[in-house]
Amino acid sequence: MVVDDEFQIRRALKNALREVAERVLEAGSGAEGIDLAATHHPDLVVLDLGLPDMAGAEVCREIRRFASMPIVVLSARHSEEDKVSLLSLGADDYVTKPFSTVELLARVKAQLRRARTQLIAPTEAPIVAGDLTFEVGRRSVTKSGEPVRLTPIEWNIVLALVMHAGRTLTHQQLFDAVWGREFGDPQRYLRVHITNLRRKIETSPSSPKYVVTEPGVGYRFEMP
Amino acid sequence: MTMAPQRRHWITWGLVLVAVTLVLVNIRAASEQTYVPLTYLLVVLGGSASGGRRLGLALSVASFVIIDYYLQTPYDHLTITKSVDFVTLAAFLVTAVVASELLAAAKRDRDSAVRDAEEVKRLAADHEALARETEHVRALREGDRMKDFVLASVSHDLRTPLTAIKAMAQDEARTGSSRALEIEEQVDRLTRMVADLLDLSRLRAGKWAFSPELNSAEDVVGAAIRQCTALERSELIVARLDETAPALYGTFDFVQTLRILVNLLENGLRFTPTGGSLELAARRDGPHLVFSVSDRGPGITEGERERVFEAFYRPQGSIADLGRAGIGLAIARSLATAQQGMLSHHARDGGGSVFELRLPAADVDPADLGEG
Repeated sequence: MVVDDEFQIRRALKNALREVAERVLEAGSGAEGIDLAATHHPDLVVLDLGLPDMAGAEVCREIRRFASMPIVVLSARHSEEDKVSLLSLGADDYVTKPFSTVELLARVKAQLRRARTQLIAPTEAPIVAGDLTFEVGRRSVTKSGEPVRLTPIEWNIVLALVMHAGRTLTHQQLFDAVWGREFGDPQRYLRVHITNLRRKIETSPSSPKYVVTEPGVGYRFEMP
Repeated sequence: MTMAPQRRHWITWGLVLVAVTLVLVNIRAASEQTYVPLTYLLVVLGGSASGGRRLGLALSVASFVIIDYYLQTPYDHLTITKSVDFVTLAAFLVTAVVASELLAAAKRDRDSAVRDAEEVKRLAADHEALARETEHVRALREGDRMKDFVLASVSHDLRTPLTAIKAMAQDEARTGSSRALEIEEQVDRLTRMVADLLDLSRLRAGKWAFSPELNSAEDVVGAAIRQCTALERSELIVARLDETAPALYGTFDFVQTLRILVNLLENGLRFTPTGGSLELAARRDGPHLVFSVSDRGPGITEGERERVFEAFYRPQGSIADLGRAGIGLAIARSLATAQQGMLSHHARDGGGSVFELRLPAADVDPADLGEG
């Protein structure tokens, strides 16, 4: 479903989304978007934040009250704080205007895949991502069949990222997932742990393809 | 100016005193004695009021002598025989002097009130001038603020139509239209210009938010290269980082440092010939974490070395187009300086340019990592 007040954008997105969706619903306002999401339960929502009738963040929060489908937000804003607050409001990903439809489609596909695997994947089955294999129960990772030795914190970080693959976890969400409600110094070293983790699982740590940095926002695990 | 009216008062009241005395002396035998001091009191008050305290006192003393000499029995003598005459004269003198003093005090008060009023008026005028000036400064500042606001909101509002055009062009491109690709390229160019304007408005408004944190060189280099992949000829960028050596760390703002590196890479790509390479490297140098972007372009002459960091400056002989406002390096430098860093240019051995970004380095003790 596409929620956007600009007819041209809606039409172009509809055409692009036909590649991945059987049917694309359109809503021209926030209220209409919430109604359609409630009555039709679309697999995914593409939501423009600049709606005339209500704030996009409000629409996002309303939809989250009754539905858990992925929400990809289109934002004209640039600031990292806005992105962080959107992600914590329940949006799954965002694309900054003006975006390319190719980029948007890639994000949409990743979100749909994530939503589906979450539904079917039993937690005991190994998670395979490229040359990496994660066995959650045994807390082990192998790269091209070779075991990778991770520290407990590195394991917790990569596990949180993999379980939400395709979704950017904010620094705060990572702190919460790894350190719980504990505050203090260890969190300062999140970036050090990420650097060490990348040196263990990435082929080229300075151009990572699994653990991707979302500048000023957080990190995301990308399934190849 | 003040002496002339003052002398006139003395002459006038002197003459009044003489006239009154002549009249009273002529009728002294027939008139009541009690009216005499009252009459002179009027003269003293009049003189006092118009000529001031000294005239008042002079008139009092003169009147005292005149009354005693001409108008009290025995006439034409200064002696006082009757005690009632003595009391009358004394009372007259006291009344006259007190009245003169009171008048003078009242006059002083009035004068000072007038002076105060003038002072107030002058201050008010000053204040008004100051207020006008303040208003002017405020108007200028408001104008500046408005300009920045317009810059920011225009560049923000432009994103929506740009998105629509870009989406439509990509929609068209799917049908195989080559014009659609050209439209998209132009939209991207316009988008970059809008982004530059927004940057400039933020730069002018001093609105960069900095949060220096412990970050690794690899992380920001990786993010910079990733962000540049959308650029034309980005495959020419080569990261030179020793990933087997211990990781390099620094205390810097990730987002703003990323912007600096991306600006330097964008700038470098423009001067890198096709088939050449643009190197992005990081090293530790004492207290500094040093990032460098090295190209094999035409280089920059000594005279232009600092000018390339000025907003809207274009090196001589550079292609005027390129779709940029020419502020990338200016923004990069101010972002570096704002976080205790330095951005400088050096000539590269063998030709070309090296842009060097120095930021505070940091050491990480593995014992602090919280791994039990």
